[in-house]
Amino acid sequence: MNEREHAGRRDELAPYLLGALEPGEVAALEQHLAGCEECRAELAWLRPAAQMLPEAVERVEAPAELRTRIMGEVEADVSRRSRRDRRGLFGGLQRWTDGRRLAAGLAAVLVVAAGVAGYAISGGGSEGNTITVAAGHAPGVTAKMVREGDSGTLRLANVHQLPSNEVLQAWVRRGKQIESAKTLFVPNRDGTATAVIDHMQGVNTVMVTAEPRGGSAHPTSAPIVAVGVPQ
Amino acid sequence: MKTRGRSAERLADEELMPLIGEKDAAAFEVFYDRHGGVAYSLAYRIVGERAAAEDVTQEAFVSIWRSGGRYDRARGSVRSWTLGIVRNRAIDLLRSRSGRAPKLGFDDETALEQRPSGDFTDEEALRHETAEEVRGALGELPGEQSKVIELAYFGGFSQAEIAEMLSVPLGTVKGRMRLGLEKIRGRLAEGVA
Repeated sequence: MNEREHAGRRDELAPYLLGALEPGEVAALEQHLAGCEECRAELAWLRPAAQMLPEAVERVEAPAELRTRIMGEVEADVSRRSRRDRRGLFGGLQRWTDGRRLAAGLAAVLVVAAGVAGYAISGGGSEGNTITVAAGHAPGVTAKMVREGDSGTLRLANVHQLPSNEVLQAWVRRGKQIESAKTLFVPNRDGTATAVIDHMQGVNTVMVTAEPRGGSAHPTSAPIVAVGVPQ
Repeated sequence: MKTRGRSAERLADEELMPLIGEKDAAAFEVFYDRHGGVAYSLAYRIVGERAAAEDVTQEAFVSIWRSGGRYDRARGSVRSWTLGIVRNRAIDLLRSRSGRAPKLGFDDETALEQRPSGDFTDEEALRHETAEEVRGALGELPGEQSKVIELAYFGGFSQAEIAEMLSVPLGTVKGRMRLGLEKIRGRLAEGVA
């Protein structure tokens, strides 16, 4: 490459660091960089200037709900992974027979329309594990719960956004006893929300209420959804 | 082996990343607490709306969590790598919006406002100090240089688009970007010295 071409490539180092090159230009420059020590050295010198640009922006406080949403997805991933690992340990005891059904009656899928004033199990369906529950309040909210072994994943949809000082809290009912499932979460912007419920043994209902941030020891509002869990 | 949050807090970013690759939620939580604030601020600076900035930040962090240990030390610090991901997602969002110009605010002095003072760890204090250097350097750049840097980095425009917008030759845009970055770099070097 002659000096003129080299100078041309060197002039693209700053646009490269600022993300201002088209893909074809990026490829050409990177090819040049692979064989040009001088340009690599200059790039290394300039890079911190571009990398520090985000540090100079005005800081705006990220909402606490954002952290809750992100960590909610993380915890849900961890829980799914943990259940997969457990299934691996027990080999064929628990296995999906197809994309919609859990094998051997070890899991239950519940499709729920939200309710407060009482919910009704409307049928098991041909698969025996699918139950629809429907009732009064919180119209439009739907829920799907997948139970696997001793834990379950509750997925809500069409949930209204909460005030910034409120979160969703999951509760479980065993007999007449209602306990916190120790799961706080917030709806995503698209109205979906996911909660992982551990220790499902003996649980006959899972409920979700809106509670003050930090959660409550006992439900302080009517449930936006209540899901019957088959034993 | 999973960490407890408190022990993860003592780890450097580069030590957290392998743990995140092993799906250690406590390590990821520390990672988010360190970089989530500036990531959200950057996303907001680019997309100009809180809701969109939240979506960009969430997508970027969940992507980092799910992609595990893809961090490569050769690409720079964990923080700059993370912010690069956030910036790219924010710019993608800007570009995907049809008929809507990016919010740029070249004359907006608030963009360079100082962060309120507070408690800082040593590392955070150093970042704060360096950020001050960059703000200072950006503020001292001739407007024509800071403008092309802002259009490219925060606006997501290519050098060719910027040349057309400003009605100047492409070579002029490249030159202004280069001069601007060199001045910022020089200022950083002075700060370190």
